[in-house]
Amino acid sequence: MTEFFASLTAGVLVFVAGYGGLQGPLGRQAACVLAYLAALLVFLCVVGGAKAMRAYAQGREPEEKHGIARYFSFDVDHKVVGVQYTVAAVVIFLVGGTLALIMRLELARHGLQFLMPDQYVTVMSLHGITMVVVALIATAGGLGNFIVPLQIGARDMAFPRLNALSFWLLPPAVILLLSSPFLGGLDFGWTAIAPLSTQGTTIGKQLFLLAFVTAGFSSIFGGVNFVATVLTMRAPGMGWRRVPIFTWSIVAAAIIQIMGTSVVAASLIMVTFDRVLHTTFFNSDLGGNVLLYQHLFWYYSHPAVYIMILPAFGAILEILPVYARKPLFAYKLVAGALLTITALSFIVWAHHMFTSGMWMLLKLPFMVNTELISIPTGVVFLAVMGTLWKAKLRLDSPMLWALAMVANFLIGGLTGIPLADAPTDLHLHDTWFIVAHFHFTIMGGAVFGFFAGFHHWFPKMTGRRLNEALAKTQCALMFVGFNAVFIPLFWLGNHGMRRHVADFPAWMDPVQTFASLAALVVGSSAIVFSYNVFISLRGGEAAGENPWEALTLEWKTPSPPPHGNFKTPPVVAGEPYDYGASA
Amino acid sequence: MKNKSAVAAIAALSALIAWGLHFVFTRFPTMPLAASEQAAHVDSAWNGLLIVEGAIYALVMGYLIYCVYAFRAKKREEQGQKFDRSRGRFVEVAWLAVSVALTLSLAALGSHELRALISDPTADIDIEVRASQFSWEFYYPQTKTFGDKLYMEKGKRHRIILTSKDVIHAFWVPEFRLKQDAVPGKAIPLILTPTKVGEYTLLCNQLCGRDHYDMRAIVSVLEHEEFEKNMKAEF
Repeated sequence: MTEFFASLTAGVLVFVAGYGGLQGPLGRQAACVLAYLAALLVFLCVVGGAKAMRAYAQGREPEEKHGIARYFSFDVDHKVVGVQYTVAAVVIFLVGGTLALIMRLELARHGLQFLMPDQYVTVMSLHGITMVVVALIATAGGLGNFIVPLQIGARDMAFPRLNALSFWLLPPAVILLLSSPFLGGLDFGWTAIAPLSTQGTTIGKQLFLLAFVTAGFSSIFGGVNFVATVLTMRAPGMGWRRVPIFTWSIVAAAIIQIMGTSVVAASLIMVTFDRVLHTTFFNSDLGGNVLLYQHLFWYYSHPAVYIMILPAFGAILEILPVYARKPLFAYKLVAGALLTITALSFIVWAHHMFTSGMWMLLKLPFMVNTELISIPTGVVFLAVMGTLWKAKLRLDSPMLWALAMVANFLIGGLTGIPLADAPTDLHLHDTWFIVAHFHFTIMGGAVFGFFAGFHHWFPKMTGRRLNEALAKTQCALMFVGFNAVFIPLFWLGNHGMRRHVADFPAWMDPVQTFASLAALVVGSSAIVFSYNVFISLRGGEAAGENPWEALTLEWKTPSPPPHGNFKTPPVVAGEPYDYGASA
Repeated sequence: MKNKSAVAAIAALSALIAWGLHFVFTRFPTMPLAASEQAAHVDSAWNGLLIVEGAIYALVMGYLIYCVYAFRAKKREEQGQKFDRSRGRFVEVAWLAVSVALTLSLAALGSHELRALISDPTADIDIEVRASQFSWEFYYPQTKTFGDKLYMEKGKRHRIILTSKDVIHAFWVPEFRLKQDAVPGKAIPLILTPTKVGEYTLLCNQLCGRDHYDMRAIVSVLEHEEFEKNMKAEF
């Protein structure tokens, strides 16, 4: 742990010294960028990157740590990285959730309560970007890293050092984001639309851009690793028709991470160039093109929502057969559907730009392409519904979370269609209708899906079981609270409630107050969750190898799995979901 | 036999949910007052979607609720019944066929209303709307007058020409429905035909910085004589 704190201190010192020293000759923006790059390098070296590279160069096995210190070190075991991602996701989720409660408190009545308008916009922007990070890393990074190698019978990921690097890029990104409010704040949401993002001289905005790019590299490295691992490291006998659906979903998401993220990083670096080097990519007075930013940004940032939701689909489809005690319905079709979503996700981005002033006939293909995504998404629902038919459902907590996710995502998916539909989107764009829609997909879908997976795999990850009564209480509180907060927001959006604003007409007060009170219920569910994890880690019932009687490979090794995962390398002889009795 | 009673139960549940949705949507209208000709097209597209999606929601939720109730295990060791493969294949193909047909018809409905909204670029009155952080300016080139409010004449087609001096803003009057960004370096037209006399609020609908929340202006839709009088008085 000393390395961890030393690396943080060294990173901060390098940044402060570099920024202070370079500010005079180079100006604030350039000094900030250069000082950060140096600080990042120092941080990664001190936290353990240098040691790991030296060990690699000398052909030694990396040094192994034990106990809690492992999780604060540059450890290359995929199970450690998985736990690091999961814990990081939960911690950032609690931070982002607190920001959400601050916003709901401000929004309880019309007029401004206790936040200045710029403070509100900063809180909102930070809530947005932190939750985007959570949704990107929770299931894909956390559960994916821990479970995928186990599920395919591999010893580890294909590139263990790259895996550790992709995790350790996240803490600097989060530190930058959380320090930006004290260094000028943010006024551009999580989208940093130019030219609003090229304006201004404070460094808060620049820190946001650097954080986004850093997290982007983390995501690309993770994606490369997953694809390589699943391509090359499956156990003997695991042909493509026997790959568990969760692994399929991670591959589908990883392809997007590889193909999309570099484009958004480019767009943010172009904004940085506009700020630092006074290029004019997005300055229309000097020959730049303002709309270019949005095209580049959404080319990644719409597919990004599928990085969030595909692993959640995978998690619940993995869970359903286990608790329904019958095979996953339409397995091959739904695996194909996940990959189809990946393919389609790259030709829909401009549905975010129906009001942007792009050539108006472009609205048509982007509207139709977007609506086509409802076909593979419908297949996911088919798999869910087919699996439930004539099942014998065990309503344990992971199953409740999965069912809650399906109920939420049904609303999330259906409310996406009016936003894809150009005529209605011209009214709904940038209102609370879309705020409610993406909360139903990302919170109601991706986060509920994460919790389903978390409850399902917690015994495997820790060797202990969660308290079922608390788990079900948390699920009920979060489901009811979440729906009570966000269903009214659809209605408010249709009736003129804009995104991104702290103030609204007085007649909206009753609905807003109701949503604020309901937000407290969601908040209380987070307390139940934290308490449950805390007591279960200390004194939870021992889980054993296979508490849920599941058939996939991760359940055929002790919980938590030993170093190297399996005592004898597993061989696959059957289908992954061969539950149930024949008719 | 058992399948028949299941279908009846699912149908009853779905009907109940559909009735509930209908009740809520009539009690709390889903759209605000429609005060422009264009709003009619948006609302027609919206209502079409609302009906189709309400039906899908009711069916799927009815099915899910029935399954969770009817197929819960009474004892942990009970096992579900495997699906017959050939019937499974039939269900898959049927599902795909229905969802493709449904998606394409929704896209067709959308395209139809979109065409109605963008096909006719002609207008009676031009208004230059200039956005800047954090205020609106209105200029009437035909009469060479400036307005502090956005005056519009009932029943006439207005071409709103949107420009921005600094960052991206967006023009939105909820009662008129249509929304359009104002982008630096571009002049973007938006055709609107107000149909109801009254005062509305123009909102900036693209985050434009600190005081974005307060970037509003009054829109005043007037009868012909009132509008003419105003245009003269303004200067």
